Order: sequence, then structure tokens, then C-alpha cells
Amino acid sequence: MADEFHFPKFNGPVALNTQEQEVLFAINQATAEEPDIEKALDRVSHLVRKVLVFDNIVVYVHQDNSIEPVYARIIGRGKASPAELAWGEALANDVVTQGVSRLIQERLENWEDNRLNLRYILGAPLKSPDGVNGAVIFGRFGGPDFTQSQIQLAEFIVVQVNQLLIRQRLVQRVAALEAERQLRTLQENFIATVSHELKSPLGFIKGYTTTLLRRDTQWDEETQREFLTIIDEETERLQGLIDNLLDSSRLQSGALKINYELVHLDELLRNIVNRTVGLHKNLDIRLFSDGPCEIYGDPTRITQVVENLISNALKYAGGSPVFLTMKKIADGPLDQSGVEVTVQDHGPGISEEFAARVFDRFYRVPSLNNRIQGTGLGLFICRELIQAHGGQITLESLPGQGTTFRIALPVDGRRKRSDGDDSKNTDS
Amino acid sequence: MTQKILIVDDEPRYLRLMEANLQVEGYQVIQAFNGQQAVELVGLERPDLVMLDVMMPVLDGFQALERIRGFSSIPVIIVSAKGQEQDRVRGLDLGADDYILKPFSATELMARVRAVLRRAQSPVSPSGQSIFRHGDLRVDFARAEVFRDDKIIYLSATEYRVLLQLVQAVGRVVPSDVLLKDVWGEEYTEDKEILWVSISRLRQKLEDDPRNPVHIVTKSGVGYIMPGLEE
Repeated sequence: MADEFHFPKFNGPVALNTQEQEVLFAINQATAEEPDIEKALDRVSHLVRKVLVFDNIVVYVHQDNSIEPVYARIIGRGKASPAELAWGEALANDVVTQGVSRLIQERLENWEDNRLNLRYILGAPLKSPDGVNGAVIFGRFGGPDFTQSQIQLAEFIVVQVNQLLIRQRLVQRVAALEAERQLRTLQENFIATVSHELKSPLGFIKGYTTTLLRRDTQWDEETQREFLTIIDEETERLQGLIDNLLDSSRLQSGALKINYELVHLDELLRNIVNRTVGLHKNLDIRLFSDGPCEIYGDPTRITQVVENLISNALKYAGGSPVFLTMKKIADGPLDQSGVEVTVQDHGPGISEEFAARVFDRFYRVPSLNNRIQGTGLGLFICRELIQAHGGQITLESLPGQGTTFRIALPVDGRRKRSDGDDSKNTDS
Repeated sequence: MTQKILIVDDEPRYLRLMEANLQVEGYQVIQAFNGQQAVELVGLERPDLVMLDVMMPVLDGFQALERIRGFSSIPVIIVSAKGQEQDRVRGLDLGADDYILKPFSATELMARVRAVLRRAQSPVSPSGQSIFRHGDLRVDFARAEVFRDDKIIYLSATEYRVLLQLVQAVGRVVPSDVLLKDVWGEEYTEDKEILWVSISRLRQKLEDDPRNPVHIVTKSGVGYIMPGLEE
């Protein structure tokens, strides 16, 4: 085994032939046109190969004090044994440290017989005004060696690749800032909403309590009862809001626990319907159930989710019939059999644009109805609780026809999916 | 004579709360659920006082107040959960006589109602005179009306009382705390911003150039004066 190092020397610009000029033009166009970085790099590597023969290419990017490969392709020889090939990491490190192009030749055992063991590896730095961001490695197996003009051509191409990477970083940064800005707006709105939501029941509690406490007035018994009932209901409302805030923050920090036990889901749903009818005498709510159904889950949390969905149906689709269905499904989430629960209203529905975001924390469908109170936490909590059970919650809505929330729960959320088909092999 | 109070809120529970407390004090109560209804009822029912929520559908409290002030100087108390300084100032600026924050106590609410109604009662005119003139300004005490170049100017009850205090002391400085105490009541003596807003509104209505006032002049750090005019 022997290593030889060549340090390329450059003697000014090299004249390009017509084909090289055309390829460079095409590369330039590809980097400018293609928004997807990976596709752009694929186009570039294929174009490069017309004027600069190489077998593999790797783009390394400097991140957190080390270099990481962000793109790698085998284009020529070596496809049969990708893991044994030289991917030039050591060279890339040198290039990044020194900031100049380098070329090495490696001769492994049997290099005379196995072309893959004679390796010419060219590394060129990705430079930006604030330093070296990484390196691009071109590997050529079995020779011939890279010529000086090829090295220079490679350097020019690397400049193009660098532009692509810089643009991608900017796009990512803009996206991250935009996401941050949106979250901040949501949080600001959230604070305004929450303070209003907290103040509203507090205002009634304070107002009616001090009314009852007036020293200059005696209220008859009926009026006293009326005021006390209002105080009681508003206290409940406040309690519900505080519970939601606490749940949401526990879910966010991962501190919320699901207490699994055997749940008779059909009974649980029937109880919810009975309670709802008790509270809302005029509501048309119907349960369609497959019959007895047992799952492992947290009955309190499942009840919370279903009640939240029903209460949403009451709030946003006021008065329209609410259908609750439960049916067993063979192909549930987590690759187990499971059960599907739907809550369907027949109200105004939600347009597609907003439907995609209703499960987001703090999100509220704008201008649906300003009078409807809410914090944008309810559906976020529902989704998190269902996911904590290993389940899924989705929504289908047709404007003008109503909204259906569909919950899929596995028979036992404690059983994790068996490993195997979910691992993706990236370099196969 | 029973005084009539219009209460405006989109929350039935606030309406009930105010209604119960006001009725037990002997006031007649009428209700509106939004700003639009409020404006109409002020015109139709001529109440003695309006208690106006801010955040309401159709027409919010500020918009309603603006319209009411276009044709009436009826006392208005804003009752709102919006408690930022800019909200308070905006309400007063639009001509509210008082601003009560939700949540409120029933006793406090009643005290404010009594105070505003007391201020609104036509004050006694300065002795012997029925008309007072100050440049282009004319005050008719008997009818509690103010004219500028013979055009009637609508003042809120509070603004009228502030003006009267200055008229009665023409040529002399009236200290801010005295104005606050005499017009709003003992509990308001520290409430400078309510006075600033009223003075500023009065100048908008009475002065040719509100930045260089001739009727209501500031005596920095002391109070306000209506300068004596030499004939």
C-alpha cells in the first residue's frame, strides 16, 4: 500500500473547448433553475461527467466542528461494492482545514489487478466569504490521473455547487425565520385570547359575588340561586380552561402520562352521549356502535378527546345533528387491529386551507365566528392524546356539509410496532 | 323621576348582572346587544345614561360612542375588559364620561353610576347671569347649551361641567385637583389623564386653534384658566 500526494499547481486560466463551455453553461443553468438541492446536484453531476470523468462524487459540509456528507453518488465504476469505495473523508478534512484543492493517489493491495484499488481522489474546497464551508470529492478508480486543466474545471464546478448550497442555506434560514414569526404571532394572539378567556369567567364570578355581597340589598331566594348557579358554571369554565392550559404545557414537555387500563369503549361512548344529552336537551346526538369493544387505553383521556370534539361540534355547528360512530377495523395504526371512532357534525364545515392547521397548537380558524370562544388548544390536545395512545386523528370537511373527525386507536397502544419495514436503506 | 339607563353588552350574563344591580336601586333599565342597537335606542328612548361594552359584534363600543356623540351629549360609561391605557384614553377621547374595567365589583359599579349621573344634572348657573360670552363663545345656562359663532356645540355632560367650572372662575386659575374633585368626585383627584382628555376634547370643539387656545389656557403644573377678556 502506498500513498502519493500531488499538490496541484495552477498556471492561470485554461482555455475551454466548445463542449466544456456548453457543459458549464448547462451547469450554471441547472443550479439556477432547480429549486430542489438534491435534484440540482444530480443534474450537475451528470453534466460534469461529460467533460470530467469520475466514478463517485461526495459533497461534505462543515457542521459543528466536523464534516458531514450531504450528497453522495456513484456514477461510474464501483456500484457493486459501494461500501468498500474510497469516499475521501480524510482528504475532505484536509481540504477544509487548508482551504485549497488537493489530489491524492492511493494504491491498495492488488491494485494492478483490481482497478478499484487504484484511486485518484480530488478534493476542492467550498469557499464562502466567512471561510471554508466544506469540500467536494471526485473519485476516479483505475486512472488516469486528473490533469491540471481537469482540476481547474472541477474547481469551477465546485464554485457552482457552492452557490447551490449557499442558496439552500438561505432558503432554509428564511423558512425557519418565517416559521418562527408565525409561531410568535400565534403566541401573541394566544396570550390575548387566553387573557380574554380567563377574564371573562372571572368577570362574572367577581360581578355576581359582589352583587350577592351588597350590604344595602336583600336578594330573594330565587335570585340568589340564579346568581350562584352562574358563579358555579363560570367557575367550571375557568377550571376547564386552566386544565387545558396545564395539559397543553404537560404535553409540550412530555410530562403527561397515559394510564393504560382495559376500556369498554362502547360503554364509554354511550356514557358520553348520555351526559351530553343531559346537558343539552335539544341536541340531536346519535351513537352508531359495532357492539362491545375492548381496548387498552386511558379512559379519562379518551373521554376528554371525544367530549372535546362533541363540544366543538356544538360550538361551531350549533344545533346540527351530531353522529358518533364506533367500528372495529382490522388494519389499525401501529399495524394492529383497532377501532375507529368518528364524530360528525352537519355544520358549515372548514375550508381545506384552514383544515390543515386546526391541530396546530394555538391555531384558530380565522373569522369563523368571533363570538365563539376558544384558545386554539383543544384540538392540539386531542391530537397529542390520541398520538400518545399510538393512534391517529384526522379530519374531513366539506364546506357547507359538515366536519368529520376520525380517530383510529390500536387495540393496545402499549404494543409498539415491530421493527423491520420502516428502516430505509439510503445507499442501496 | 325614575332615571332610565341603557345597558349595552353582547354577553347576556353581563346584561343580567348590571340589570339586577341597577333595578334594585330603582333605575329603569333598557338593553341593547350591540353598538348598532345602542345608537338607535339612544335616539328613540333618550336614556339618562348609557353603559357601553367595547368588544361587540356589528358595531363596537367605540364606534357606537362616536356615533352617539354626533347627536347627543348623554353621559356614557364604558364598561370593558380592554384595560390598556390606550383603550382608556381612546374611550375618554371619544367622549366617554367614565371608564370601568371588567372585572368590576357591584358596589364600585353603582358608585360610578351615581357619580356620573350626579355630574350630569344641570349645575346651577352662576349668579344673576343667564348668558355668558367669551369671544366667539356663548354659554346659555338656562338651556345648558354652548354656541360658537352661533352654532350649537355638543358637549358631553362632563365636558359641560368642566367648562362651567372655568367660566365661573373666569380670570382665575382652577387647579387640576379642584377640577377633578368638583367635576368627577373625591375619588378622582389623582386621575389626571381623564382631565387631560376632557380639556383636549373641549379645545377641539371650542378653539379655532386648539394648540394656541384662547378660551382654555394651561397654567403649567397648576391647572387651567379661562382668561378674563377686556371688552
